[in-house]
This record gives sequence, C-alpha cells and structure tokens, in this order.
Amino acid sequence: MNNYLEVRNLSKSFESFQLRDITFSLPKGYIMGLIGPNGSGKTTTIKLILNMLKRTSGEVKILGFDNITNEQEAKRNLGVVFDSNYFSDEWKISQVEKSVSSFYENWDTQKFSETLKRFHIQPSKRVKELSKGMQMKLMLACAFSYDAKLLILDEPTSGLDPVSRDELLNILSEYIEDGEHSVLFSTHITGDLERAADYITYISYGELFFSGGKDEFIDRFRIVKGGCEELSADLGKKMIGIRNFSTGFEALVKTEDLKQFAHLNVEPATIDDIVVFTSKRGEQYE
Amino acid sequence: MNNIWKSAKLDFSLVKPYVKTICLIMILPIVFAAVNRSLLTGISFAMCLIAKTTGYTFSITEKNSMERLYGILPIRKSDMVIGRYIFMIIMGFAALIFSLVAHPILLTILGETISIFDCMNAASIGIFLFALYTVFQLPGYYKLGSIKGRVFLYIPVAGFLITLLPITQIPVGESKLLFTVINSPALLMLLAVIFVIVMYVISILVSIKILKNKEV
Amino acid sequence: MKLIISNISGIPIYEQIKQQVKSAIMSGDLQKDETLPSLRTLAKELKISVLTVTRAYTELEQEGFVKNIQGRGCFVLGQGSELLREQLICKIENNLSEAISAARVANLSEEELHHLLSILMEEKTDE
Repeated sequence: MNNYLEVRNLSKSFESFQLRDITFSLPKGYIMGLIGPNGSGKTTTIKLILNMLKRTSGEVKILGFDNITNEQEAKRNLGVVFDSNYFSDEWKISQVEKSVSSFYENWDTQKFSETLKRFHIQPSKRVKELSKGMQMKLMLACAFSYDAKLLILDEPTSGLDPVSRDELLNILSEYIEDGEHSVLFSTHITGDLERAADYITYISYGELFFSGGKDEFIDRFRIVKGGCEELSADLGKKMIGIRNFSTGFEALVKTEDLKQFAHLNVEPATIDDIVVFTSKRGEQYE
Repeated sequence: MNNIWKSAKLDFSLVKPYVKTICLIMILPIVFAAVNRSLLTGISFAMCLIAKTTGYTFSITEKNSMERLYGILPIRKSDMVIGRYIFMIIMGFAALIFSLVAHPILLTILGETISIFDCMNAASIGIFLFALYTVFQLPGYYKLGSIKGRVFLYIPVAGFLITLLPITQIPVGESKLLFTVINSPALLMLLAVIFVIVMYVISILVSIKILKNKEV
Repeated sequence: MKLIISNISGIPIYEQIKQQVKSAIMSGDLQKDETLPSLRTLAKELKISVLTVTRAYTELEQEGFVKNIQGRGCFVLGQGSELLREQLICKIENNLSEAISAARVANLSEEELHHLLSILMEEKTDE
C-alpha cells in the first residue's frame, strides 16, 4: 500500500457551508500540509476523515481501510493531535496511559515513558497543569507509543510559541525519517510548512484549489511588483490577485504567464502570498 | 480484554476523581432511611441518587471535549455505548450493596427489626427503580448532552404518576390475571426482570443509534 | 561536506543542494565512492522537504555526478566518471550549437567564431 491516506470526491453539506468534491492522497513517508484560511473547510475535512462528521458523499481510506466500514482497523494505526488535548483535566499523565493504552494492542510502555522524558513531561503531573505545547506533546507521545503510522494534526501550532512550533517540526521530520510514517498537518500558519512539508493540499471556500508537491505549488506562482503606471487593464486580467497602494502594486501571477510581466520586478511567491492573494479573489467573486 | 470492558474501564477512569463525592452523596439516603425508619424508602432514594450520577461520565466528557478522544479510539461506537451501560450498572450494584449493608445496620441500631425478606423486597424495588431511571436517562444524555439530557429523568417520574392513577382505579378482584400476578411474588419478579431486560435492550439500541448519527 | 541552505537567496533549495554537492565533488571534498548523506536524514537535519532532497539527488544522478543504489545510498561517481564526462560533453555540444546559431544570426564566419573561442580560452587560462 503506497498511499497512507486517500480522500476521493469527499463532500459534506451543512446549512451554511459546503465542502465540495475534495480529492487528494498522501503517500507513505511524507508530510502533507492542509492549508486554507479559517472557515475554508480544513477541520471539516479532518473530521470527515475521522468519521466524526457524516460525509454526504465520497470515500476515505486510511492505511487502506475504509474509514466507516473498517473504522476500527483504520484507527488502530492512526494518531491524532487537536489544537487542545482530549484527555480529562483531572487525569495524571500516568492515568492517561492507563486509560488509553488498553485500546492499542501494540502499546509500548517503555516507549511512552522515554518519549515523556524526551519531551520533559513529568508523569506525576495532571493534564490541566500542562502548557499548550506540553499538551500537544502528550498527544504525540501517545501516538508514538503505539507506533501510529499516520499522524493527523489539526491546527497544532495555533497558540504555540515559536520555540514549541520549531520543536514540533523537528519531531515530525524525525517521525517520517524512516519512510514508514506520514503526517497530515492542517494549519493557517503556513510558515510552518514552507520548508518541512512535502505536499500541499489547499482548500479554499470548501473547494480543492490544489493538491500536489509543495515545490510545484510554489513554483506555479510568482509575485510581480511595479509602479502604478506599469499596470494596464490587459495585465490586470492575467493577475490572480492584486494589492494596490499609492506608489505601486504587487500581484500574484501564474508562472506560465510570466512572459507578459517580464518588465516588472519578479519574485518567488511564498505559500502565504498564494493563500492571501487567491483568497482575496474568492471574496470578490462571491 | 474486549472492547466493551475497555470502554467501561475508560468510563471508570473518568469518574475516578469524583468517587469521593459520589460516596458522600450515598450518605444522604442513610439519613433519609433513619428519619423515615424505612429500609424501602432509603434504598429507593439511594438508587435514584446513583442513577443521577450516571450524568458524571457525560458531563466530564463534555467539559474536556473528550468526544474527540472517543472519536479517534479504535473501537466501535456500539462497544462504547454498551461499555457505558455496563459501567453504569456496576455503579448501581455497588451502591445497592453498600446501601443494603449500611441501611439495615443503622436501622437495627435505631431499634427497627429488618428481616431478610425486607431486604430482598427493598433490593428488588431499588433495582427496578434504578433501571427505570437509567433506561430513559442515558439515551437522553446521548441525545441532548449532560445538561439538557436531565429532563429525561422526569419521564419515569411522570410515567409513575400517569400509570399509578389508573392502576389504583382498577378493582383488583375483577381482573383474574392481575389478581394472580399480584399475588404471586415469583411471577411478579419474573415479569419485572423481563421488563427490565427488554427496556435495557431497547435503551441501548436507541443510544447506539443516536451516537452513530451524532456529529461532533 | 558542508551543506547550508539559504532562505533568502531566491535560488530553489534543491538547486542549492545540487550546486553545493557539485562543487564539493569538483573540489575533491567529496571523493569517488563516498556516500552522500541519507536522503531522509538530510531532509530532517536541514528541516526541508524529503521531496526537495529527492529532486536534488535525482537530478544529480541524471547529470552523472552520483549513483543511487537502492537501499545502500547515493555514491559519488567522481570527477573522472564516464557518465559525468558524457554529460559535460553533451553540455558543451549544446552550448556550442547555441553559439553557432547566434553566430549565424550575427553573420559571423566560421574563422571568426574559432578566433573568438581561442581568445576566450586564453582568457580562461590566464585566470
């Protein structure tokens, strides 16, 4: 099995929001960033993958198992980290292990205590005494203790300081180093992904904008900058998004259209640039 | 160890920090029994109270958004539900046994005579009441959450009032069937047991259905 | 071998890796049969995407600088490698034919082109 996660034509209708026809796959051994502005459907997608929401249509396979008909098998090798922990506040860390470990046949107690040590989490502490970064690490420690093959993180870095975010990225790069583990990582702090992610899935307004290699994603777009007089209506049509200011403009363009902008100042785009400019377009059209 | 049992154990670990509180609550019926000088009242009250504490698992889960933990564990939703019923029934039994020891001792000290038959009688009614409360209560919690779900507690209460009135109106002598049933404790017991089992099965099935359709 | 990544150079990361590996090979810093750092380890240490390193290594292999042996690593082929030589010759041919077409456009005779080449060669040896 080459793909650890396969999402096909996934759709979900709410009264006020629709997720439409999301398709992507995450191969074994890589990190995928799931990006998009708040409210674009990242968490909905993750909850559909976890079968915490009922899909309207489509298909999800986790490690080859259907997430509904083979839910148990699918979740046996799955680790999940949410933006806040899902344990009882009153539990001591040792109690967390007692409560959760029995559900996983291959739970490794020694690995758990080693990981706690590495993360500087004292087993005698209570969950409510842990900082946000520590809570995230506790969830990771659990996932590592049963050797989860696929790790899904939903906005793990929101509310984390830069040090903890950097630590998380180190932990994840190490996790996939052996080529046997994969990570799906949703975030709106795209700086986290700029370097470490292998793949990007970008969801915008409930629709799939792009899914594929990160380098390819970034390479598809360029930022052009110029003075106000250099901007013509024809050029404007070719721009995906533009920001005007009194002394000039900057815009996101497709790399394939670059020839027409050769006279302008051209720079590589960052993931943030792409998300910001493409989302602005969406606002105008909706 | 199968998943139902694991799930019941997880529920226990949720409630564990609150065990002391629950024990304290169980003192209340003892006082009640002592004041009323009645084992039956004491036990009935105890079983109602312990039935109410089943809400703990739900309120703790909600407070910590633990439906996310339940959502990622490799376990069927039906096993989770059955596990919770098992845990709740164990709690009920623990409370019953505690009360069946504590109440008669206290009442004897106070000078009442308590026979084995009294104990059995109180126990049967206690179990019946507990079952009646919980079969409505749990689907209520699953459907509406720990706060709004409490209204389901009043279904059996209302049910009592509605059924008790007509029952007292029926002239026992005229209905031969009713007469036989009421005069044979064994038959009454058997009917009660069947009734409790059927109610639990329906309640569990309803709860599973609710949980399966729930979106978190 | 020294390998550092710049975030502000504007050069794609895979290109930076390629350039640095190439210059290490050319300067003799990386000897024949030495292995490059493991792909996934390098990605982890530089905190970059595995795919980025994969691309750099694959292109290095295509250009004849290294040989990837499944499960054993990426071996340096050395300066004298046949493949590398072929690659370089191919590159020379490409560049020369480009020069020829440019010469045609500029109406430059063959002799003038040869002359230009000798001048450039001399300049290079002076360096």
